[in-house]
Amino acid sequence: MSDAVAEQVDDDLWSAIGDPTRRRLLDLLLLGGDGTATTLGRQLPVTRQAVSKHLVVLDRVGLVRATPAGREKRYRVDDDQLARAAAQLSSVGSAWDARLQRIKRIAETIQRTQQD
Amino acid sequence: MELGTIEREIYVEAAPEIVFDVVSSPEHLKQWWPDDARYEPTPGSTGEIVFGDPGAGGPVVPFTVVDVSPPRTFAFRWTHPADQDATEGNSLLVTFDLTPSRGGTLLRMTETGFREMGWEVAVLEQQYQEHVTGWEFYLPRLAPYVATLELRP
Repeated sequence: MSDAVAEQVDDDLWSAIGDPTRRRLLDLLLLGGDGTATTLGRQLPVTRQAVSKHLVVLDRVGLVRATPAGREKRYRVDDDQLARAAAQLSSVGSAWDARLQRIKRIAETIQRTQQD
Repeated sequence: MELGTIEREIYVEAAPEIVFDVVSSPEHLKQWWPDDARYEPTPGSTGEIVFGDPGAGGPVVPFTVVDVSPPRTFAFRWTHPADQDATEGNSLLVTFDLTPSRGGTLLRMTETGFREMGWEVAVLEQQYQEHVTGWEFYLPRLAPYVATLELRP
């Protein structure tokens, strides 16, 4: 996969997580193990149709996996893809760790220079 | 699952006034983060920070100063669309809080807004740092800068 394609996938991944209803759906799936648009819709202040659309978005970026369940689909969280999303958050955090180390070194150098 | 906020804390052996200057002035900012920084360190000031060479596709990112309370707090928003005012929902808010401690400064950084805006820009910048520049870029430039500081009277 080229870098450009990888970035596109990542953008879609973060767009999918950027929506509060979809994050709530992920929370509910993590708590309950699995769910359908009907069972999840009962726990949220949105219609079953809206839940279905959000689940399709989550499925498209691989955050959930669907299996047939009668006339509906049953969804579960994809642990690997969720871990990958969490790892990207931690890499943004690592960037700040590096920046703060540089802030520390610059400020401490100025402090020592002023004391000399 | 709380994916929205990054919090970091670091102890700096320097007075809050010095640390405040390092985190807030554009001249210092570009020594620890972007390659160029254009803004006035006054509340409401808008500007931009630049990563790499804009002519070669380096990102130019909007930057708006939110709070300047020396030597306690400096806050800014970044990553909002260039034609929009920075607000909650379209940008990331970075806040530096400085507390005097043991003769130095406890520096606390929080970055919030990921939940509201998605991750595209933060991830883009991160990938840019990792794939295009990364550590080989930052470390060699830091030592000469520190050396120039030490030469000052």
